[in-house]
Amino acid sequence: MSAPPRLRALNEPRRVRVRTDAGGRPTAVALPGPGRRNFRPVESVRESWRIDDEWWRRPISRLYHDVVVEGGQFVVLYRDLTDGGWYVQR
Amino acid sequence: MPENPTRHVPASIPFSAKGLHSGPRSMESGARNDSTIGTSASSPLSSGRGSRQALCLWLPTFELRLELVRFPELDSTSVALLSSEGGVRRRIQQVSERAHTAGVRPGQLVSQAVSLCPSLTLLEPDPAHYDATQEAMLEALAELTPVVEPAGRGRVFLGMDGLGRLYGSPPTQAQRALRHLFRVFPAPLVAATRAGYAPGKFGAWVAAVQAGPGRPVLVAEEELGPFLARCPISALPVDGAMVERLERLGVNTMGELARLPEAALVGQFGDAGRDALAWATGGRIDPVRPWHRPRPIRVSLDFPAPVGQTMPLHGALDRLLERALSRPARRGRSVAALRLIAHLEGGGSWTAEQVLREPSAQRETLAFVLRSRIALSPPAGAVERLVLELTQFGPASSQDELFSRNEQGGREAGGHGFTEGEVPVSLKDAVKELKLRLGYSPLYLVVEVDPWSRIPERRHALLSFDP
Repeated sequence: MSAPPRLRALNEPRRVRVRTDAGGRPTAVALPGPGRRNFRPVESVRESWRIDDEWWRRPISRLYHDVVVEGGQFVVLYRDLTDGGWYVQR
Repeated sequence: MPENPTRHVPASIPFSAKGLHSGPRSMESGARNDSTIGTSASSPLSSGRGSRQALCLWLPTFELRLELVRFPELDSTSVALLSSEGGVRRRIQQVSERAHTAGVRPGQLVSQAVSLCPSLTLLEPDPAHYDATQEAMLEALAELTPVVEPAGRGRVFLGMDGLGRLYGSPPTQAQRALRHLFRVFPAPLVAATRAGYAPGKFGAWVAAVQAGPGRPVLVAEEELGPFLARCPISALPVDGAMVERLERLGVNTMGELARLPEAALVGQFGDAGRDALAWATGGRIDPVRPWHRPRPIRVSLDFPAPVGQTMPLHGALDRLLERALSRPARRGRSVAALRLIAHLEGGGSWTAEQVLREPSAQRETLAFVLRSRIALSPPAGAVERLVLELTQFGPASSQDELFSRNEQGGREAGGHGFTEGEVPVSLKDAVKELKLRLGYSPLYLVVEVDPWSRIPERRHALLSFDP
């Protein structure tokens, strides 16, 4: 008897390194993946929004930024306000 | 036999007719129980299948005791177990002795109970745990006798016919059953077990209610009538209104009832009057019948994060039904009863059991039934794991072939397109080949979990695909 099937979450956030300006907005991001360790400058921040949820369980507090990096790629980044880390998510 | 270290107050008053009608009540609370004491009557001369000599083992406040085994630090405090029904106005289901002393009673609203006893500890029910223990108990007792019949959580009837040569006299048999429970289960759980031995389940239950912990009450064949004559009429498995009416007429014991002419009772109460007389005089014996429960089909799903909303639960339920219905063991049978169990975040569980009016093998029908149950009484917390059990089966449904995934079903049979959930043979073969090579199926289905969630990783998930 195999273990009961578990739903595997899709689109789980991946940790990234981000440089920020004095206001905490991303200025460059080192995206994960082979050969992509170099920081790529952020050309513009299209939109920012904040999510606060599940305060009764393990609080989720994130500040999202929808950014365009050098080369025109759209990337959604967020700063986890509980642990201070930066993550990338589609 | 060790004495019960903490005596607990039974949830229902012993000798109440309500307590005797445990069948439907237990079904509501999720216990698997297909028997109602007093309804499977037979003549004393021909008991038919089953065992005439019955041993009733009754564990009062079974559920609360299980919780105290889990949290022994609460044993000396005021504790109350909440009822399974969700909603805003929760009620008390069972109380410990301390809580009872403080005035807390089963059936009270939580607000009333807390105002009576501010130090009261409230426990969420965990029906899945209670049912698993009850099942373990049935299995353990089946080592003593092949005739074991459950009657709700914490109450079991054993058929003792023909066991004299194996275990000795009835007192020895009863003690042996109690010792067996002590060997298998922790003492705090079974210390307060009451045992009653008598002809028929009704007599055995009445005897068990009169018994003390470790002190069985035994009633011989010829003593049954006089024994029942001393018991209050509230023990009769008849309508509560009838008991109330009899009490208003000054009939308080079964002996007093037995002195009334049958014609008068029938004139007043109809067939129920005749039944009551038969029970009261010991003229009706209900044998213990071996309990048969087909092996359930069980499928489960773990959520990556606890789910508190209805929509993802519905989605998961659909997935579970799809998987359960496609199991080879289900083929050729329709589903007559099913059970949904939700393991809740932070402990506790929730169950919904449903017996269908008409057995069905249609996913939509089964899903509708369970969705209605979720809507009526939703889980009291966020769900970490959802388990679906198909517990009873009916004859093959005429619609069955629509769900069949073999070559005769679906597209090949009818020439129509693929139905929902149907898997092409070529894909099945491909998965089989991959499994042979890798040892597991590397294919996954994308399923909606909570598509409107604000947290992106909660919206969709991957489910392993193994047709």
